Amino acid sequence: MLAHWNLRLRVFLFFALLGLASLVLIGGGLWLGWSRAVPRPDPGAFVLGGAAGGFAVLGLITWIWRLFDENLARPMQALAAQLRVLAHAEDAKPLDANQAQYLGDLAPAAHAIAERLSATRDDLALAVERETTRLAEEKERLETLLADVNAGILLCSGDHKVVFYNSVARNLLQDSNAPRLNQPVTGCLREGPVLHAYERLTQEGAAHSETQFLCSTPDGTAMFTATMRLVPQGNARGGGYALTLRDVTADIGLHAARETLLADMIEDMRRKAANLDTLSRLRAAGDDPIEQALVQETRALAQAVDCFGARYNETADVWWPRAEIAARDLMDSLRARLRSEGVTFSASHQPLSVVCDGFMVVSLLAQVALRLRDGGEIALAIGPGETAEEALVTLDWTGAPVAMAELERWLAEPLDLGQADLTGRFVLARHGTDIWPEALPDGRARLCLPLPRVEETGDHDLRGAVYDFSLFEKSRVAPLADMALDDLSYVVFDTETTGLLPSQGDEIVQIAALRVVGGKLLLAERLDMLVDPGRNIPEASTKVHGVTQAMVQGAPRIDQAGRDLHDFARGAVLVAHNAPFDMAFFHKHADEIGREFDNPVLDTVLLSAVLFGITEDHTLDALCTRLGVVIPEADRHTAMGDTLATGTVFVKMIEMLKGQGYATFGAVHDEMKKQMRLYKR
Amino acid sequence: MTEESDTAPRGANILLVEDEVNIALALKFLMERMGHVVTHIDDGAAALAQVEALAPDLVLLDVTLPGASGYEICQYIRGCRALDRARVLVLTARGADIERRKALALGADGFMSKPFEMAELQARVAELLASPREV
Repeated sequence: MLAHWNLRLRVFLFFALLGLASLVLIGGGLWLGWSRAVPRPDPGAFVLGGAAGGFAVLGLITWIWRLFDENLARPMQALAAQLRVLAHAEDAKPLDANQAQYLGDLAPAAHAIAERLSATRDDLALAVERETTRLAEEKERLETLLADVNAGILLCSGDHKVVFYNSVARNLLQDSNAPRLNQPVTGCLREGPVLHAYERLTQEGAAHSETQFLCSTPDGTAMFTATMRLVPQGNARGGGYALTLRDVTADIGLHAARETLLADMIEDMRRKAANLDTLSRLRAAGDDPIEQALVQETRALAQAVDCFGARYNETADVWWPRAEIAARDLMDSLRARLRSEGVTFSASHQPLSVVCDGFMVVSLLAQVALRLRDGGEIALAIGPGETAEEALVTLDWTGAPVAMAELERWLAEPLDLGQADLTGRFVLARHGTDIWPEALPDGRARLCLPLPRVEETGDHDLRGAVYDFSLFEKSRVAPLADMALDDLSYVVFDTETTGLLPSQGDEIVQIAALRVVGGKLLLAERLDMLVDPGRNIPEASTKVHGVTQAMVQGAPRIDQAGRDLHDFARGAVLVAHNAPFDMAFFHKHADEIGREFDNPVLDTVLLSAVLFGITEDHTLDALCTRLGVVIPEADRHTAMGDTLATGTVFVKMIEMLKGQGYATFGAVHDEMKKQMRLYKR
Repeated sequence: MTEESDTAPRGANILLVEDEVNIALALKFLMERMGHVVTHIDDGAAALAQVEALAPDLVLLDVTLPGASGYEICQYIRGCRALDRARVLVLTARGADIERRKALALGADGFMSKPFEMAELQARVAELLASPREV
């Protein structure tokens, strides 16, 4: 309780108690003296003495209390109040050190804290202003970029409201389809494909953050290929997305007509050529050279038409948007489509992905399933097909197989995609597949639909945009020695070799390189290649780096690999761990490569000596441990793994070099050269 | 002209459904030379209407036909009890794998894509006619 009382009050009470105690003690002492005196004296003198002494002591205590209160308690209270004000108010008055002159070091210490707090606030305000300005400039540059991108771009919130659109989007979506801020995007695009794509991307466990699909305006007057990419919101899905639109209205009309003409022409010619060839095989040519020539030319014609047809099949519709879609996502989309129609189905699927226009295929399957609903529950399955490149979608039900004539009628009906000629048959043709009925045991029937299957692709993170707008301000005209470390571009690289002796026939078997720009290691800008050394790879070296003779069959030789690295490193400082070793291989083959590796070079072994002293361990493993860099063991001693380790270490070293006053390339290079004796040890 | 094997079945009732006149002519000639009786129909709808009455032992069936596709005819034949023993050999110009799978799934007993060697066709026909179809 006492701790919560005002300081001055506590001090006053302390001195009051002291005064009272003094009076009691004086009174007590005088009484003791009087009571012991023999004979007993007149108490009046004792009382007078006691009173005088008491007043004198009280007066002294009061005076001391006043001094204490004036020069200690009150200043301490005032100082505490001022510190509280400084902590919470931004432009408070500075501390008055004079009023606390009797508090010893307390006042100067508090003053120092107050000054530091003020300085920190000023620094913070400057940093915020700087970052705000930088962000505003970046925003302006991005807006400039977006304005010039030759595609319509819409940014939408998680509830499908438009939050941004560029001028191209405004031109693509006109009149009643025009985009409006904070209005649903389904006002300018048909909602089915957009919602379907968004649903797929935001499902829990969805592997992709981007998908492509075909969509149209609600009135069907325009058709677009669209790419939807989720806008990251921390680790959560379900946020907004970016839509990139390309107008294919004319293309579809043009392509559709042209594709149909070409397909019909090829089909007709193929039939005629096949018939001609068949007829030519009906009879042997005999000895008549003219007849032999006729047979030969007929067969050549048939083969040529067949080849032409095969080439057409390979290249037809490659521009049609297709995406990798997990079987599970296809199932879920179909279930959502059919739920509103009151159709349910049992589903089973294997963990695989198909390549298709998801909305089109789901629309086709929904159309077929709706017509099968009278056959009881439908069992839908997606599993492996006849080959590794094929998945098979099957719909099973109880009943007779669908008659082909009826199936063709279903396939001739338009799907709900806003265009009359987008039928089920059209979707099948675009995907190069077909659908057919089969009879199953026990009175059941099936429809089969093969679709292309694909392995999951990795490295989705590498698809993000790469930028560094600080490059706008970088100086590019100063001499290399005067260039700031942050203003330079670097290429960190590593090689794996057949052995350690380039001068005695060892060669490179693998090269990897990454770029460092603006202090950032750019994982999206990389070189990673095997190299045919033109000699055998000793087993001992394979045990280190894992590159075998079989792996380098067909790989480029050092002349091409060297040129590739030279092009990749154009204008950059080369960085490697033990650079003389790697560079020796390229210098050895300079004539074959036809390019001079005259880039400036930094060696992280020597930089380690600059930073940590020559007696420390400068191996790459030791550096990684020292700087807290962790590279998976499986990646160590691969060219890319070691490049990643060296690059990560090097980026940290740049900061440490700057911290030690080596701000320019010249300063670092000069200091690095002093450590060259490390290679002579 | 190739020589037929003396052990090959003869006298079978073959229905040829082919709309290409010259090919039909050649195939009819070949089948008749093998000793079979050939009925030629050049329209898919007409083939559907007549196949049950003709009760062929073997149907040589083109895919692309006017009126009804070869797939439709094949499915009809396989669904007709009276034609359980009829074999179906699908002939097509394209030969895409998906067409082969579709034809076989619909109950075709064989599939050949043009151009084919006459000897190969004769051998397939003989093979199909020699082995009774399991019902």
